[in-house]
Amino acid sequence: MRFLQFIFAILSAVLLTGCVEIIDDLTLNSDGSGCFKYNVNLSSSKIKINSILALDSLDGKRVPSLDEMKQKITSLHEKLKLQPGISNAKLEADYTNFIFKFSCDFASIEDLQYAIKLIAISENKGKPIPELDHKWLIFSGTHLERSVPKITLKKSKQITAKDQLKLKEGTYTSITRFDKEIRAFNNDSAKLSTNKKAIMLRTDTYSLVQNPRLLDNLIDLKQ
Amino acid sequence: MKTLATLFSVLIIFAVNGQKPEELIPQEAISVFSLNNINLLQKISLDELVQYEFMEEIQQEIFDGSTAQKTIKESGIDFNQKLNIFIGRTANYDVTGLTFGIENRKEFFTVFDDFKSAKSPYPEVDIYTSYFNRIAISGNSGILFRVIPKDFRVTAITDSIWEALGHTPEWYNEESFTEYELEVISEELTIEEAFEEAEHNPSEKTYLELRDSVDLSMQEKTVKAICDDLFIHKNMLINQSPEFKNQLKSATEGTFYMDNSKGFQNENTFDFMRSVHPQIYTQFEKLYTGNLMLGSIHILDHEIQFKLDAQYGEKIGAVYEELTDAKFDKNILPYIHQNNQAFFTYNLNLRNAYEKVTEILLPILSESKSREIAALVLVVELMDEYLNKDALFASYKGSLFGTFNGIQKIKTKKFIWEYDEENYDYTEQEVEAEEDMPIFVVGFSTDRNDIMYKIMKFNSQFYSETHDMGEYYMIDNAILNTAPLYIINKNNLFIYTNDENLAKTHSNGYGDASITKKKIKKAMKGGAVYAHVDLSKAVEELPEELFNTQQNQIVNVLRGKSGVFELTSSKTSNTGTTFSMNYKFEGEYTNSGTYLLDLINSLYVISK
Repeated sequence: MRFLQFIFAILSAVLLTGCVEIIDDLTLNSDGSGCFKYNVNLSSSKIKINSILALDSLDGKRVPSLDEMKQKITSLHEKLKLQPGISNAKLEADYTNFIFKFSCDFASIEDLQYAIKLIAISENKGKPIPELDHKWLIFSGTHLERSVPKITLKKSKQITAKDQLKLKEGTYTSITRFDKEIRAFNNDSAKLSTNKKAIMLRTDTYSLVQNPRLLDNLIDLKQ
Repeated sequence: MKTLATLFSVLIIFAVNGQKPEELIPQEAISVFSLNNINLLQKISLDELVQYEFMEEIQQEIFDGSTAQKTIKESGIDFNQKLNIFIGRTANYDVTGLTFGIENRKEFFTVFDDFKSAKSPYPEVDIYTSYFNRIAISGNSGILFRVIPKDFRVTAITDSIWEALGHTPEWYNEESFTEYELEVISEELTIEEAFEEAEHNPSEKTYLELRDSVDLSMQEKTVKAICDDLFIHKNMLINQSPEFKNQLKSATEGTFYMDNSKGFQNENTFDFMRSVHPQIYTQFEKLYTGNLMLGSIHILDHEIQFKLDAQYGEKIGAVYEELTDAKFDKNILPYIHQNNQAFFTYNLNLRNAYEKVTEILLPILSESKSREIAALVLVVELMDEYLNKDALFASYKGSLFGTFNGIQKIKTKKFIWEYDEENYDYTEQEVEAEEDMPIFVVGFSTDRNDIMYKIMKFNSQFYSETHDMGEYYMIDNAILNTAPLYIINKNNLFIYTNDENLAKTHSNGYGDASITKKKIKKAMKGGAVYAHVDLSKAVEELPEELFNTQQNQIVNVLRGKSGVFELTSSKTSNTGTTFSMNYKFEGEYTNSGTYLLDLINSLYVISK
């Protein structure tokens, strides 16, 4: 749980700086292999981030130094590179504009999920994280089920009005690409690309924090 | 008659044995806030009260559901007695707490319901405990306090026992946690996890368990010593400090007492000097003797006045007198905008102070038989001979000013991702953006713009981020790696600002838009320090991210309030300076108590 708490603490801090733009971009081939990209763009909050980094603590919590953040991000990247079924793991980190782009290829969706789970457990000092037993991606070749693990996040009552505003300024975009055309999907908020091979879900970070299941989708591909 | 006699006997017993709240303040107290007129607080809810830092620290375990929807009036506290909040410090521990009168014990313990009665070794004194907190009640007065042993003392004792038990020193253990990791673990260790770790070897204490035991033992020992002093030896602050005793006679709503000399004695940073150079330490200790801060709080209609007398020993006072022997620098006036939201001026004479410091300190240091100290004295004497002090102190005289001109949008760059609707591929685009930035001007007085020019000329020639723009200099991305910093070096001032408008179009000052002499009259005629803050304008706009936790605690209590805060100081003599803080608030307000608590909390946070 400690790892999840750490991740959520980081996420909360990032999301609350306002104007964060996050893209998760999953490309799936028919054989189950693919590419996963995760991009975080905080360039429109440079001043806020730099001012937070200049502090020792904020709201009673210690603020990590830029060097500590760099070490942590690099260490996570190094760990991912070593996971079975994962190849071509890349990290582009721009600490001036605070843009982070991560990508890796995977042999199967199970490998990707297993790799993420192993790293999380390793960061949790080897203790299991039951939340990660949930399979958030299930792919059969023509059918993808995407669901977010059941995670308890801060409810709106606990988020101040000021923080709500900041969260509403941020965006989260989830893109899923296939080498076949999409036949149907069940999330009404999703939008199909013109070539019908990619589907996009966009939401603001406040709504996502309130209901992570906004990104759930069942997608059927043409044979 | 019998009943009357009994009643008289009881009253006599209370008169003889019962101590007043101010008589329960431990001698270790360095700072004390005494509220004489606590009637002001009656309407404040307990839930509101516990939000303050000075209450939270003492009573974090106490206030739970028992305070819900209750006011202080319903807490059993006697509003006819003083309420004192104290912070104490010694070389080995800190002690913080409250002393107060009790009118109704039943109501009192309805609020403080976590406390359990404990055996009292003191006649006529009842003791109650809850976790690390203690309440001692003598007659109708009580003290609620907590003792926190100094971390490094606990560690030193624990290490010593740990090694004596045959263990490897903890600092030598490669697997020992870093300070940060330890902090994270101690914060997040669940009860189950703690048991899991304990099960590792239940018959033997781990290092952390041993440390906890040492900590607890030190607490118990200290609590006993404090109680012995209060209830047996009568060694309390009021008997130790005639100044404190005298101050309590004040008819004002509240008083503030701070003994800086005690702070010096208990400051651990002087441990080295204390043990290696005891004679020098004794001399320094003498310098600090009599260094006291005595404050009084007056509450008027829509106004709180806080007056603080800083008293010094003669020698330290002589240094302060010389340091503040500076005239107001009128050159700064054009650079303070009339619509500023806050500004301060600080008039100092470093040259005079330097001469006085060397006059006082060098003889003390010269007495030392230590080679290192003698070498230090020699270096100072040689520098004094060879350095061009005229040039040095003309370049930086010591006087400063600063203004906060509100939040403005400044231009920055950001990146966005643009999507191709065909396949949702995206590309990165750099676009113009705006971010909020607090605008400030900070400058110091100089008689040698020519010397500052030489430094800036070098910087602009050899550092690519520094540009000579003619009337000003610009340093790229100097503010939070995002916005430029402008430097103006003219008119006997050296100014830093992020106000583009000031640098580019008003490098000689804001002209007609500058502050009027009338508005700054008090700063010009007062002592060394002056500050003016328009709370309704300034505080709301200040971003939290710019301040650390402690600073935010002070700023946050002022948020949502309107009015003007003004700090003035008198001319400094060799025995003291008087500072006056006036807080005039406007519009509707529930009661002065809230404003009073805000002030106390700010003082508490500052003096911690």
